[in-house]
Amino acid sequence: MIPPLEEIEVERIHKRSVSDSKAEKRNVNVDMNPMVDLAFLLLTFFMLATTFSKPFAMELLVPAKPKENAVEKEIPVKESKTLSLLLLEDKLIWYNGITDPEVNEMEYQSEKIDALIKTQIIQISGLVVLIKPHEKSNYGQLVQLIDLLNQNKSKRYAITECSNFDLKLINE
Amino acid sequence: MPNLRKLKKLPKLDMNPMVDMAFLLVSFFMMTTTFKTDTPAEINLPDSHSKVKIPERNMATITVSKDGRIFFGIDNKFKRARMLDVISTQAEISFTEHQRNVFSLQNSFGTPLNQLGDFLEERALGNKVEQHGIPADSTQNELKKWLLASRISNPSLRYSIHADQEVPYPIIHDCIESLRDLNITRFNLITVGDDSPS
Repeated sequence: MIPPLEEIEVERIHKRSVSDSKAEKRNVNVDMNPMVDLAFLLLTFFMLATTFSKPFAMELLVPAKPKENAVEKEIPVKESKTLSLLLLEDKLIWYNGITDPEVNEMEYQSEKIDALIKTQIIQISGLVVLIKPHEKSNYGQLVQLIDLLNQNKSKRYAITECSNFDLKLINE
Repeated sequence: MPNLRKLKKLPKLDMNPMVDMAFLLVSFFMMTTTFKTDTPAEINLPDSHSKVKIPERNMATITVSKDGRIFFGIDNKFKRARMLDVISTQAEISFTEHQRNVFSLQNSFGTPLNQLGDFLEERALGNKVEQHGIPADSTQNELKKWLLASRISNPSLRYSIHADQEVPYPIIHDCIESLRDLNITRFNLITVGDDSPS
């Protein structure tokens, strides 16, 4: 026969109180030292294995190579809207236009280049920047320049090779 | 006298706050950590103000060390094995099952194709091997073969150039041209974020 609900409840409470008092009597003393040792081990491991300087990506778009049999469909750009930047190992040569330009030279300093880009953007709307890294320039310079252009929100730039005219300029 | 007796007693220090702190730090590091990847050479990345995060999956990385050696690697173990299969059929070099397994564990590698087998054997023994870089010049462009193979093994790969800032430009030019030849016109340059306010 099933006992009434109250009796079950009473029994349960009774049982619990008995077991509780038993647990209280036994003084449980767990040795925490190994756990703490492990915690510190993990801590040192993670501290050593972690990298904090998270690298960021800089997106670069390059034009696709023209197909051999395709008809050239290049969009012409006004010469007067172009700014050529010749990257050399220790200096920067720049000029506007392509035929017979007025050539300027400056030291390689990010503040100066920044100022140059800023004035050029104000002077010429729809400026197209041609970056021409010379053989002796390095990757860091290129990235720095692209970064400056990105910061100045100059969206139209291209990395191209030095023309014969440029090479002559450099050799002078 | 009573003072001296007091000193002899072992002082009881409550270690609990320290342990709490330790666990807090452990959990913090466990959450935020990104492990240092095993790069074949030390790379001093250029700075930029870019804030674009690098994708975590489907990454193919062209690493260029300071002395101009080129390394290549993709991110998924299975895709790596598939890439090796593609290369071995294209270049008609056969690899053993063991070499294939070792290859799938390499984050990046930088050996010419004809030395790849030896390299994998050495790596299987756990040796560090001096790698000469993947040739990428116009006369013998193996990088292009690898790029193509990686594209076949995983069409959704995103490519990035992970180069030291002192790498001479012509080598970067070779890499970019190789990418362009395969119609990969959008890729990332990996840089270190500059936190200074602009």
